[in-house]
Amino acid sequence: MLKTTLTAAAALALTTGLASAQSAWTGGDDLPTSPLACDGTPATPASVAYDGGEPTNPPDRNGKSITVVDVPKLIGIGYFDATSKGIAEAAKEMGTMTATTDGPVEANIDDQITVIDNYITKGVDGILFAANDPVAISPVLKKALAAGINVVGYDANSEPAARQWFVNQAEFNGIAKAMIDSLVAEAGDDASFAIVTSTFTTPNQARWIAEMGAYAAACHPNLKWLETVEAQEDNILSFNQANTLINKYGDELKGILGMTSVATPASADAVTQAGQCGKIAVVGLATPNAMKPYVEADCVKSVVLWNPVDLGYAAAFVLRAAADATLKPGDTSVKAGKLGDLSVINGSEILLGAPFVFTKENIGEFDF
Amino acid sequence: MTWRRLLRHETILALLVLLALFVLDRQSDKFFTLDNLFNQGRLMTEVGLVAIVMTFVIITGGIDLSVGSILGMTAILIGVFWKNLGLPLPVAIGLGLVVGTLAGVANGIIITRFRVPPLIATLGTLALYRGIAEGVSQARSVRGYPEWFYVLGQGQLLGVPTQLWIFGIAAVVAAALLGWTTCGRTTYAIGSNEVAARFSGLSVDVTKVAIYAASGLAAAVAAAIFVSRVSTTRSDMGTGIELDAITAVVLGGTSIFGGRGTIVGTLLGLVLIQALKNGLSLAGVKSDGTVVLIGAVLILTILLSNLFHRDQNR
Repeated sequence: MLKTTLTAAAALALTTGLASAQSAWTGGDDLPTSPLACDGTPATPASVAYDGGEPTNPPDRNGKSITVVDVPKLIGIGYFDATSKGIAEAAKEMGTMTATTDGPVEANIDDQITVIDNYITKGVDGILFAANDPVAISPVLKKALAAGINVVGYDANSEPAARQWFVNQAEFNGIAKAMIDSLVAEAGDDASFAIVTSTFTTPNQARWIAEMGAYAAACHPNLKWLETVEAQEDNILSFNQANTLINKYGDELKGILGMTSVATPASADAVTQAGQCGKIAVVGLATPNAMKPYVEADCVKSVVLWNPVDLGYAAAFVLRAAADATLKPGDTSVKAGKLGDLSVINGSEILLGAPFVFTKENIGEFDF
Repeated sequence: MTWRRLLRHETILALLVLLALFVLDRQSDKFFTLDNLFNQGRLMTEVGLVAIVMTFVIITGGIDLSVGSILGMTAILIGVFWKNLGLPLPVAIGLGLVVGTLAGVANGIIITRFRVPPLIATLGTLALYRGIAEGVSQARSVRGYPEWFYVLGQGQLLGVPTQLWIFGIAAVVAAALLGWTTCGRTTYAIGSNEVAARFSGLSVDVTKVAIYAASGLAAAVAAAIFVSRVSTTRSDMGTGIELDAITAVVLGGTSIFGGRGTIVGTLLGLVLIQALKNGLSLAGVKSDGTVVLIGAVLILTILLSNLFHRDQNR
């Protein structure tokens, strides 16, 4: 009996210990959060020493015409068509860069390495990449640096030392702020809402949820979080989970936050079918093509993501600056054409800026 | 008679390879450099090892679709044995090779003992072994191997990439086995007429199991090299490698119905594919175009070969 009591007590202590360590909202992680200021003042970047690599004895490329190859995760999908469109735009605007996009036909790390390897042999001035695996791609990128090639990543990073710079499309706290701000704008400052995520342990989603919790607590304390549900990245399960939420909370539910590009359209579909358009706001991360029907039907007002055309555009300008040696370790910002000055964060990353919110006005311009 | 002998498939293929090398050399001055050739050898080794043993498998009239999955499973297990179980890395690699071989033995037993056609048996284990790899890895990769391990996949020995030595030795041993030993003749006999081979007192089942086991072992060795080359393990490693290997073997003149084929042919097939992939890329053709061209070359080569051999073989 004593033993049982002791075990129970220990278990209780353990669970409370765990609970207090965890973020306020289920599905968030326990890592420290850094919510942005409520009015959108950019956070002062913590100064981290440059941790990127350096090309070995690169020729003087300052102002000269350079050939650049862009190797995305795979070719032939809308998202990377959009990034290479941005790169082409930037190259045209600069007039001193010839950029081609070539990559594996499947998102396969071995094929991607082979493609990059061949371009190193062929001899290019710069390589832009979006890695299929951060570690596996690093040896071949280090080889490129050793050959004096300028290497810049975007969308998906490698090990820092294997490239010079990485263009980061969005920080976790930036996405979190855009999500919560959009929710508040649509459903009000005191709305009750639920979250549909992939699983409680998926790294990116957990990070976003933790950051959203911290930002809401600081800036919109009256928001009422009801529940977080898991829906894998499964279309049918996401729809069912959203449907359950609608039935379970009835009129109390004013908003649904979709954390994956599957959960968001599925939640929008559930709200549409329940005839709750306009009563329940759906805000989430998703690609424009999947959301067009709901946005055009006025059922969804804001879809949060970054603009992949801008991402490619910025990556091309960063590469140009690295090749010109106008962007050096220790710099705090870089000029990126029409995007203006972009700031350097985390040592050797360049932040694209605040996330992009797709609305009825602009969603038609995107096809991915 | 003699000119017919000269027009074997391998001769035609060798001429094609020379032609391709010549044309590709004219397209880019970077193609025929020692650096590039060694580098291509490095990239070819994993498929090459698998293709060498695949030649034996196809000569017996069989096929092994599970090699890519065995590669993935072995890679993950080497990582897990080393990182999670704390075994020394050489022991982990040794165990990985044992598991790969056992996976091959399992294929062989399913095929010989239960009379499941090789295509179906290895299609099953293709899914099975990949599933195990994904289950064990839980979508996490193992990284941070000690520096000495990278010598295998990224380093050099006497100026030549380390894995090319392994590949070279494997090719010579395989060619000798197939050309000059009873084991090799048994392999051809099984492919030509399995029933006749059985009644001639040849150990058909043992040979087959041994060949599938060797196929598993080759995939496991390729896995160790692959992990060392890319310095990480992932459960999706080696996806589709079986098709690359089969393409090289068939391009090399091995009959998919069994009974005919050589290691030299397979090596020529491998070289032709790798040269096309690399040379076309250097010449500025993009990946999608290269894939189309390799498919066309495969079909054309077989057509050409059949044209010359129409009245001679079958």
